[in-house]
Amino acid sequence: MLGFRQSPWLIHYDASSCNGCDIETLACLTPLYDVERLGVVNTGNPKHADIFLVTGAVNQQSREVIRNIYHQLPEPKVVVAVGICAATGGIFRDCYNVSGGVDTVIPVDVYVPGCAARPEAIIDGVVKAIGVLEEKQRDMAAMAHSIDRTLFLRAEKEDVPEILALQKVAYQSEAEIYGDESLPALQQTLPELQTDFDRMVFLKAVVNGKIIGSVRGYQEDASAHISRMIVHPYFRGRGLSRHLVTGMEQAFPGVRRFEAFTGHKSKRNIAAFSRLGYQIYKTEPFTPLVTWVYLQKDLHTTPPSAPESKPRSLCHPENGRALAAAAKDSARIHLSNPTP
Amino acid sequence: MSPWLRLLIFLVASPIVGGLLAGLDRKISARLQSRLGPPLLQPFYDVIKLWRKETIVVRRSQNLFIGMFLLLVVFTGALFFAGSDLLLVIFALTLAAIFFVLGAYKASSPYSFLGAERELIQMMAYEPMVLLTAIGMYMVTKSFYVHEIARHPQLLVLALPGVFLGFLYTLEIKFRKSPFDLSSSHHAHQELVRGITTEFSGRALAMIEVAHWYENVLLLGWIYLFFASLPWLGISVSLAAFLFVILVDNVFARLKWQAALKSAWIVAIVLGFGNILVLSLLR
Repeated sequence: MLGFRQSPWLIHYDASSCNGCDIETLACLTPLYDVERLGVVNTGNPKHADIFLVTGAVNQQSREVIRNIYHQLPEPKVVVAVGICAATGGIFRDCYNVSGGVDTVIPVDVYVPGCAARPEAIIDGVVKAIGVLEEKQRDMAAMAHSIDRTLFLRAEKEDVPEILALQKVAYQSEAEIYGDESLPALQQTLPELQTDFDRMVFLKAVVNGKIIGSVRGYQEDASAHISRMIVHPYFRGRGLSRHLVTGMEQAFPGVRRFEAFTGHKSKRNIAAFSRLGYQIYKTEPFTPLVTWVYLQKDLHTTPPSAPESKPRSLCHPENGRALAAAAKDSARIHLSNPTP
Repeated sequence: MSPWLRLLIFLVASPIVGGLLAGLDRKISARLQSRLGPPLLQPFYDVIKLWRKETIVVRRSQNLFIGMFLLLVVFTGALFFAGSDLLLVIFALTLAAIFFVLGAYKASSPYSFLGAERELIQMMAYEPMVLLTAIGMYMVTKSFYVHEIARHPQLLVLALPGVFLGFLYTLEIKFRKSPFDLSSSHHAHQELVRGITTEFSGRALAMIEVAHWYENVLLLGWIYLFFASLPWLGISVSLAAFLFVILVDNVFARLKWQAALKSAWIVAIVLGFGNILVLSLLR
């Protein structure tokens, strides 16, 4: 595709280790290798970059920086881990402060081997990254075009790993807000989520066979609890969360009171729930960094929301099931890496 | 040629010419550094790509200012090539630059703040000389209208050699090239990240690039005006001036803002004002 192939701009960051791979990365810009002939620009500014080159193992100090840079790259973006330290932690793996490769913090698309990685290998990695970049761009364009054909369906047991991967991507922005990666949603494991699946109702928003949003809920006494409203960062601000929450409310037809909670700094979430008629009724400190804000909607006191917000596809379960089956057959689209 | 036709040609051709010039710039710079360099069409690939990227903003309004910047640069160029008043062109161009600065201020980032401040300093540095250029052209041709200046029978540069050299100095600042790439450098890893453009991404950045293409064509058009009575000489000197700017960019390191401001004003006073003084005394 014209554009992305000819113009990959990159930013490089040395997370730790011996700095050898970083020097080799810069060597790519020298007259001998001259990556600029491929259109590569070494930007030094994440907001202008397409490819994030990380060298070195991740330690406690660099993880925040890596995450910060990653979030400032506009979509579509690709991460290249250069050198064995960036891939696995290398010989620094067992150090007390090293958590391992770059993929312990952010999703990595291309691994370049070597210690230090040779400039030729790094250039090869960048060329591979361009392929991934194009693929992501294509997928995103396709999905963005069909966003108005989003299906809102009950999730099935097979969807759980994909929902977990989406959850990790979606909650990155929350970790960014609070500067805290120990949020429960980011710590959740696959078995835990599978247990959740057995006791909760899961809804999913599907475009082109790819889950881009999800919400879960369960009933306790006379109230329904709605939690983990997740939408892929690329598709936010398009009303998906409204459809998901109203869909979830309809999943509990007898219930008159709904409850949800979010962090105190998550202004977007609070605003989204407020628009749907939810009101804050209590706050509760969770960690020194996060205070939970509890919201409720009591249909005994508030009138029911307008019927136009009813999700369309919940009315056509057979249609949805066919699509979900088709999705399973088609190749998986990697908007984000599945969690390890 | 009717002014409307010239206007149309400017609107259509200058992004193409400007983009090709930008590509030529990168190619020649690479060759000067004994590299191969990107293809000639690289700036177009970059803009196409940027157009497809996600646009991340700090405040949504920052991109509105960039839209105004592009619009006013195109408007300024249109005024110039339609043969309008040179003073109006200068003020419209200043307004465009002010919108660019406002956009950067809007983004609330220390890097883009500093870039915006330096852009203002650069504007202070070049504005006097640009005004003196218009005044010098008026003194020779008795008109501020571009179409009348262009129709003047003699080579303006013969009467205005100082003003021409001073304008060349200004060109170096307007192109944001070394030694005056204070507000935003095309070279990576400067102390300001990317200065005034730091906080712009995606379509906004693409619009900034296209605005620069229009702006560069306008400035080279101004160089042409000094040689307007011999069109082919004018075109070759414009191109030569562009190559000269690239050469200087590759030869010099960046100046401090104090030195940039001082030297630009000294040039404006000695070459620009001196030239005009001599003209008025000789009369």
